[in-house]
Amino acid sequence: MLKLLVKKQLNEIFRVYFYDAKKNKARSKVSTIMFMLWFAVIMTGVLGGIFTMLSRKLCAPMAALDMGWMYFALMGLLAILLGTFGSVFNTFSGLYLSKDNDLLLSMPIPVSAIVASRLLSVYIMGLMYSAVVIIPAWIVYMVTAGVNTQNIFGGIILMVLISVFVMTLSCLLGYAVAKVSLKLKHKSMITVLVSLLFIGAYYFFYFKAQSMITDLLTNLTVYGEKIKGFAYLLFAFGSVGVGDVKATLIMLALVAVIFLMMWFLISKSFLQVATATGKVSKVEYRKKALKQKSITKALILREFKHFTSSPGYMLNSGLGIFLMPICAVVLLWKGRKMFTLLNAMFGSQDGSVLLLITIMLCGLISMDIMTAPSISLEGKSLWIAQTLPVTPWQVLRAKLDMQLILNGISVAVGMVCVAVICPFKIGQFVMMILQVLSYVFVMAVFGLFMGVIKPVLTWTNELTPIKQSASVMITMFGGLGYTAILFIGYMVFPGYTLGYTLYIGIFIVVNVVAGLTLYIWLRTKGCDRFAEL
Amino acid sequence: MLKIEHLTKKYGDKTAVDNLNLHIQPGEIYGFIGHNGAGKTTTLKSVVGILQFDQGEIYIGGESVKEQPLKCKSKIAYIPDNPDLYDYMTGIKYLNFIADIFKVSAADRKERIHKYADLFEITDDLAQPIAAYSHGMKQKLAIISAWLHEPELIIMDEPFVGLDPKASHLLKEMMRKICDNGGAIFFSTHVLEVAEKLCDKVAIIKGGKLIRQGTMDEVRGDESLEDVFLELEE
Repeated sequence: MLKLLVKKQLNEIFRVYFYDAKKNKARSKVSTIMFMLWFAVIMTGVLGGIFTMLSRKLCAPMAALDMGWMYFALMGLLAILLGTFGSVFNTFSGLYLSKDNDLLLSMPIPVSAIVASRLLSVYIMGLMYSAVVIIPAWIVYMVTAGVNTQNIFGGIILMVLISVFVMTLSCLLGYAVAKVSLKLKHKSMITVLVSLLFIGAYYFFYFKAQSMITDLLTNLTVYGEKIKGFAYLLFAFGSVGVGDVKATLIMLALVAVIFLMMWFLISKSFLQVATATGKVSKVEYRKKALKQKSITKALILREFKHFTSSPGYMLNSGLGIFLMPICAVVLLWKGRKMFTLLNAMFGSQDGSVLLLITIMLCGLISMDIMTAPSISLEGKSLWIAQTLPVTPWQVLRAKLDMQLILNGISVAVGMVCVAVICPFKIGQFVMMILQVLSYVFVMAVFGLFMGVIKPVLTWTNELTPIKQSASVMITMFGGLGYTAILFIGYMVFPGYTLGYTLYIGIFIVVNVVAGLTLYIWLRTKGCDRFAEL
Repeated sequence: MLKIEHLTKKYGDKTAVDNLNLHIQPGEIYGFIGHNGAGKTTTLKSVVGILQFDQGEIYIGGESVKEQPLKCKSKIAYIPDNPDLYDYMTGIKYLNFIADIFKVSAADRKERIHKYADLFEITDDLAQPIAAYSHGMKQKLAIISAWLHEPELIIMDEPFVGLDPKASHLLKEMMRKICDNGGAIFFSTHVLEVAEKLCDKVAIIKGGKLIRQGTMDEVRGDESLEDVFLELEE
């Protein structure tokens, strides 16, 4: 029975390699192989490459001081962090929200077999992410310290321990998410806030990493002694990698106990959590007076409601809206220091600092692509907009307005902070405002244009049009490309010889012409295409 | 109320509806019968403006659907076979949204929403997100939203699917009432007993062509509607 379920689970996990959901048919063998190779290149080439470089930096000095255990402890912790981070967001849905819950539970299958097959998905996901850290670390260690039985088995056992621990941790976190989400009221906003905190923490450590590594390498022995004294488990954990038998036995026993506890908890509660309706205590409707709104307002509010009800939509299509005020506050706080630094670096080229600030603002605006998936997000409920007595333009306009309003607010906050901190000439500041506003307009109409010509209405998961549709990809990369051209044109091709005002003036003209062209297209042909969807 | 003249709709090479003519008068409940893929839904979607048709004309209250789409849409209401509503809204927000679009006054919408929600026994659930509704509850919400602006013509695709017996009975009463007040109903169904009991007129479509239409007596003669339908299908 378990074998059958595992086979089904593996089919589900790797389905994307064999089946093209967009074309609704099986991929060809060549396409499957290319897809797998592409994923392997991304995982090993990009992620694995980053950790290989980090391993090379850390390994030699630590191995030289006979502190291989500390090297493995650090890389192991990183593997646990990445493995858990990579799988925890899918654990809750993977464990409990599978669409075949009802089908499987109605058949004579032991609950434990269903749980075990689900755990396998979590395990594979965790293994995939943790392996890109620990395998390069293991290889680099063997290259540095030599290949011997102790190092080979140490590395293998450490990888097994980490992958099982990552699965255990992910499941426990998934269980906590399940429990909390059954009671939470404002899930969307809380999810966005927590995600932003994660992103913030990630960047904090990312920017601090260099100084932390330097500090660690300078004081290796001191930190090593402290860890041995106060955090023996961390010492034992790292020692597994260098083949210490005693440490291996202790860690194996510990991970086994934690795993068994998790297994007991999950298998006992699975039925209750998986079959819970997910409803928060029911909010009972109380009859009250209802207000009348204009059609325009009603349509815009519909867009806002959709946007704010979906964390996936907010985070993937509107990240710039949240980051702009944060960056603006950082600018107020550290701005003067930053300008001094930028002036020292680029001061020789007139207007470069202003241009860099303009690029920063445009970069943040490029992250706001709410209009791009908005047509696809109508999905199966498109019939409502099509049968109501509203013109296609009224529907499209509401989508455009939402992005312009949200962008407008966040850009206004950003511009005020820039104005406070930057020593501009008034003419330059006006040009910056015009550039930013015209770019906001271009991004909004370009996203909507892409949404109309490349809609995907047949999705089953809302994240598909938000993250994977052609309209979103093209709009996102279009925005990034624009920002890159803005930078390269000034710094590499000597746009600086024109001066900031004239250079930005050209972009403003391009923005206005492109924006108006797309706007006119949307009002005419775009409306026709929308009506025919 | 509804006049369909020479309606033809093609999907590529396939003709889904072929030169269809139909005339529905005020006060009539008109049933639309046919096997799966006969062209019922295509016809209904063409009437409500979801599908653009290739040839012919559709008039609602004398206005052309092609020339005056907004005027026509403001007179009608549509309930599809599978009511995919806005899952991200609560029931009351959805009804309010529909009322806003049809410019239903605050007083009227309050009275109608509460009246119909009470009748269908979903008042307590109106503050819940639609995503949490069952199929039947969504169907009830779609019905309430269709009745909100007191349309002259209601187009429904398999409206009884998913409704409990009490709600089905209620819907039939509401359909009759709207027709008694001068409105009209055009709906498709597979349940021939319902069509037989409820409809003033009926049309049978096969392979995109209307093969029989008229009053119930004219269509069935001395036989049952089921016998006539099966004979025509052979």
